[in-house]
Amino acid sequence: MPEKTDRVQDQLVAFLPNLRRFAIALCRSRDMADDLVQRACERALANEQRFEQGTRFDAWMFKILRNLWIDDIRKRKVAGPQDDIDERHDIAGVSGEREMEARLALSGVAQAIGELPGDQRDVLLLVCVEELSYKEAAEILAVPIGTVMSRLARARKNLAEATGISTAPTRSAVTKGATK
Amino acid sequence: MTEETFSDEILMRFADGELDPETVARIEQAMEIDDRLVTRVAMFIETRAQAQAALKPLLDEPVPEKLVAAVEQMVEAKRASEKAASVLPFGGGRMAGPPSRSQWLLPIAASLAAVVGALAGYWAAGTNERAQGGLWVAGVIRPALGQALETVESGKEIKLAGISDRFRAIATFRNNSQDLCREFEVDSQDRSTVMSVACRSGDEWRVSFAVVAPGDAGGYAPASSAEALDAYLSAIEAGAPMSAEEEVKALTEVRQKDQK
Repeated sequence: MPEKTDRVQDQLVAFLPNLRRFAIALCRSRDMADDLVQRACERALANEQRFEQGTRFDAWMFKILRNLWIDDIRKRKVAGPQDDIDERHDIAGVSGEREMEARLALSGVAQAIGELPGDQRDVLLLVCVEELSYKEAAEILAVPIGTVMSRLARARKNLAEATGISTAPTRSAVTKGATK
Repeated sequence: MTEETFSDEILMRFADGELDPETVARIEQAMEIDDRLVTRVAMFIETRAQAQAALKPLLDEPVPEKLVAAVEQMVEAKRASEKAASVLPFGGGRMAGPPSRSQWLLPIAASLAAVVGALAGYWAAGTNERAQGGLWVAGVIRPALGQALETVESGKEIKLAGISDRFRAIATFRNNSQDLCREFEVDSQDRSTVMSVACRSGDEWRVSFAVVAPGDAGGYAPASSAEALDAYLSAIEAGAPMSAEEEVKALTEVRQKDQK
């Protein structure tokens, strides 16, 4: 029987802050996020034997959580093409959603991330925020790695535009650390 | 001179460290003379840093206690169910099964199946003192426990005479054969908790169910053991727990019979 170290049940509680952050970024409501996190943990424990030792636990958890979230959205029968199943819903959805958003007190950048198309946002969260590799993100999102890269590049261009990061060819924007 | 052009994706991979060393070298070289290229790369570096910084506060935010507690409880339950299933002597490989099955099914099945044969085992297996001071052997109850079963009201707890194990009566009910049954827990010195059901059979108590749950904070078996117990109780079609008055009456009857 495997010893404690690498087991899902031993890592779950310590991972809650990350999992919850990802969930909040996905559904932009703390209440929904907490519920999502709880269900993801439940599912993870029930499927613990499917976790492959030696693979990244965080990637595995993000995948479970995101799949649950996608299921939720499907269940709510949001019309429209698969690609943007979530983002319009988030913004225009239930009344009070705006309020929740306000309560999140997000920075301008976070706001801009929230307003990205869902597919771009997800890959940005996984790679830039949670620091997964392209390959891991591709595995979580069940898309080819090329798709991850094109979405991620678009996401960052959109983000740069929304937050006014310079894309113009000036020297001053270049030096790292001096760009604020 | 050939000026190489790099796509956004290549530059992004450069910024993210997802590029082969040769291309990295070529880009680095090109950046030395191409400000525009530097700016394009900087955009990718910066968006990454900004996204990270923007969502950092969410990471620092305390996770609601309710959520932590819920997850901790799930983890505990999972551990306990594994422990309960593994404590009872059983050939290996029992836990393996179709992964789509409910997480509870297997441990419960294992507990239930093991109960009949394992009762003697648990108390005898631990230590030598345990063997002599054991509460039951082959399902037959020792006097100290028998006495407790007949006297302790549900909800009350006592120290068992002669051994320092704590006995807690949980409920009294009748099974499908109308035998009087008691659900109870025993905390042993090694801090494990046994959740058990004993029923009257003729003029003695027989333990018909027991789950060993690893106790941590002294007492009260975790939820998964309770699941196993619930499964058992529904299997024997246990009646509703008796009221306090009914219980007193039933236990008095048992004691009177004993004295005959």
